[in-house]
Amino acid sequence: MNAETPAILLDKVSKRFGSFEALKQVSLTVARGERIVVCGPSGSGKSTMIRCVNRLERHDSGEIFVNGMALTGGKGDQAVVRDNVGMVFQQFNLFPHLTVLQNLMLAPRLVQKRSKAEARDVALRLLERVRIPEQAEKYPAQLSGGQQQRVAIARALCVNPKIMLFDEPTSALDPEMIKEVLDVMVALAREGMTMICVTHEMGFARSVADRVVFMDHGRIVEADAPEAFFGNPRHERTRLFLSQILSH
Amino acid sequence: MSFDIALILDSVPKLLAGIGLTLQLLLLSGLFGTLLGVLTCAARLSRLPILRWPGWLYITLFRGTPLLVQIFIIYYGLAQFEAIRDSFLWTFLREPYWCAILAFALNTGAYTGEIFRGGVQGVDKGLTEAAWALGLNRWHRLRYIVAPIALRLSLPAYGNDMISLLKGTALASTITLLDITGVARNIVAKTFAPYEIFISAAIVYLCMTWVIQRLVAWAEWRLNRPLRAS
Amino acid sequence: MELALEWARPFLGGALVVLQIFAVALVLTVVIGLLGASAKLSGSRALRWLAHAYTTVFRGTPEVLILLILYFGSAVSLTALVRLFRPEIQFVDIPPFWAGSLALGLIVGAYATETFRGAFQGVPKGQVEAARALGLSGWQVFFYVRLPQMWRLALPTFGNHMLSLMKDTALISIIGLEEIMYTAKIATSVTSKPFTMYAMVGVIYLLFTWLIALLVGRLERGATRHLMESR
Repeated sequence: MNAETPAILLDKVSKRFGSFEALKQVSLTVARGERIVVCGPSGSGKSTMIRCVNRLERHDSGEIFVNGMALTGGKGDQAVVRDNVGMVFQQFNLFPHLTVLQNLMLAPRLVQKRSKAEARDVALRLLERVRIPEQAEKYPAQLSGGQQQRVAIARALCVNPKIMLFDEPTSALDPEMIKEVLDVMVALAREGMTMICVTHEMGFARSVADRVVFMDHGRIVEADAPEAFFGNPRHERTRLFLSQILSH
Repeated sequence: MSFDIALILDSVPKLLAGIGLTLQLLLLSGLFGTLLGVLTCAARLSRLPILRWPGWLYITLFRGTPLLVQIFIIYYGLAQFEAIRDSFLWTFLREPYWCAILAFALNTGAYTGEIFRGGVQGVDKGLTEAAWALGLNRWHRLRYIVAPIALRLSLPAYGNDMISLLKGTALASTITLLDITGVARNIVAKTFAPYEIFISAAIVYLCMTWVIQRLVAWAEWRLNRPLRAS
Repeated sequence: MELALEWARPFLGGALVVLQIFAVALVLTVVIGLLGASAKLSGSRALRWLAHAYTTVFRGTPEVLILLILYFGSAVSLTALVRLFRPEIQFVDIPPFWAGSLALGLIVGAYATETFRGAFQGVPKGQVEAARALGLSGWQVFFYVRLPQMWRLALPTFGNHMLSLMKDTALISIIGLEEIMYTAKIATSVTSKPFTMYAMVGVIYLLFTWLIALLVGRLERGATRHLMESR
């Protein structure tokens, strides 16, 4: 793998659920260190696309490469994903029966086989990074939504992924807590993390994204740098979507 | 109808003698039954049809027929087969004690199998996805994420099933065993005082039920602690 | 197995008795369950306490013990009573069929009480208020609004109660009712094939429980019809 290898490469990827075609021949290349924001109406396939990247969904045809390694649909995929990609979910998915610290330490200890002390170290440092070190011994139920999502981001970072995927990370949050999560994501982007972020937060897209991708009905309609995307969208559907989402 | 207090006082110690057997039946059957339930749950949720179908059949048979019939089939019915009478199993299977435990364990196994399956399927899919995304393998996901949560979800129904098992042990009296109910029936047959004796026996069972309920409530309280927002 | 066919008629007779008990006990269960639920939801503290005591005792005591208390207890009481007037009579009892049905009705009725109570409480208050605002009388509100909704909520759990009730009918053989277990006992003493005979009993109960499950499934679909999206 050299510096030219893209972080993520999707080549004509298709996926269907029963009779519903969620992805139709989607192709996308994400360079290392690039920040991509994916937007589009619900049902457009944006979540499906990133879930295929970290193999939560198995694509039906086409090829997906993560840091040069192909996702074959077999057992080896989890190793590829685990070593390269971290995921943050809309519903946080923190383990409710474990403390924040235990949530963070679980993967480093079990998967990376680190010692308890090492894992604890990593966990506490990351909690500092997301600015809630004092919540270490609390249970998820005792935290606010914004705090939980920040813990989720820290948890994903504990295993040192090279690429971070965000699936509508702020959609389940009360408005006043969206900023604290976006701030963490912006800081992450500034440090050079490769990111694909599915979101409706266009302010975030404008300030952080290298490219904004618009998807509709399972296809990528348009992909451009933010100034071009927001200032001069080329397709009618993109214009329509932007007018709906930016009007309020 | 007179209430013979002297009779009650005389009989209670005798009834208490039956508690030993009732407890043995409850604990042994509960233990084996729960283990069987875990195996059954695993079988039902397995990817292999060769495990799923027998699991389904077992559960259907033992939840679809009365416990009394199951006891009789094992105690009276198995004696029909020479192959069993000639084998080493016969030392166990001709004893009403082991027949009862076998019947209760098989019955409990079917019910707890379904309870655990419900618990496992109740675990939020997102949690197993997050665990997978972090790189945890199947066994780790099961041990650290699915099992603890499924346990907590199963607890109320499991507690009810243990109470059902306790009540079921009373049927051991139908195959000559002297558990609480067996002792009671004996005394009533001699004294013709059904109210005093049977009501005393019922009180003993009610106390035991209460103990089980308190244990389950405590376990629920412990397991739900992380979920209580401060 | 020809043996099974030979004994088919007596077994069918026993199965019929089982069905009869089930029917009677089911009616009792529903009636007692509704009464118990209303007691638990009533304003009277005494009624609530009474209902609570009832459900605690009848759900915490072995079924077989309740059967024995009811049958032998009533026999002893009845005999004592009758002998006051006619001392030559040795033994009077409530026939096991009725004693057993009553016992089962009381037992499963305790579970039904809890289920119905929960279901009544699950009916959104707003609907009751809307009905009152529309001018419906108390009885009409109960019959047209609360009962149908409660039925929908109670049905899955009540289906389980019905299955329990069906299986509990086997216990009445213990107090001497000549139903299907009794048939199997006689057949065993004649043929010396206990496994075959009791297995037949099992098969018949399996059939009955399967039919009940089917029925409940049908009823559930009917009760939630209005909630399913139109195609």
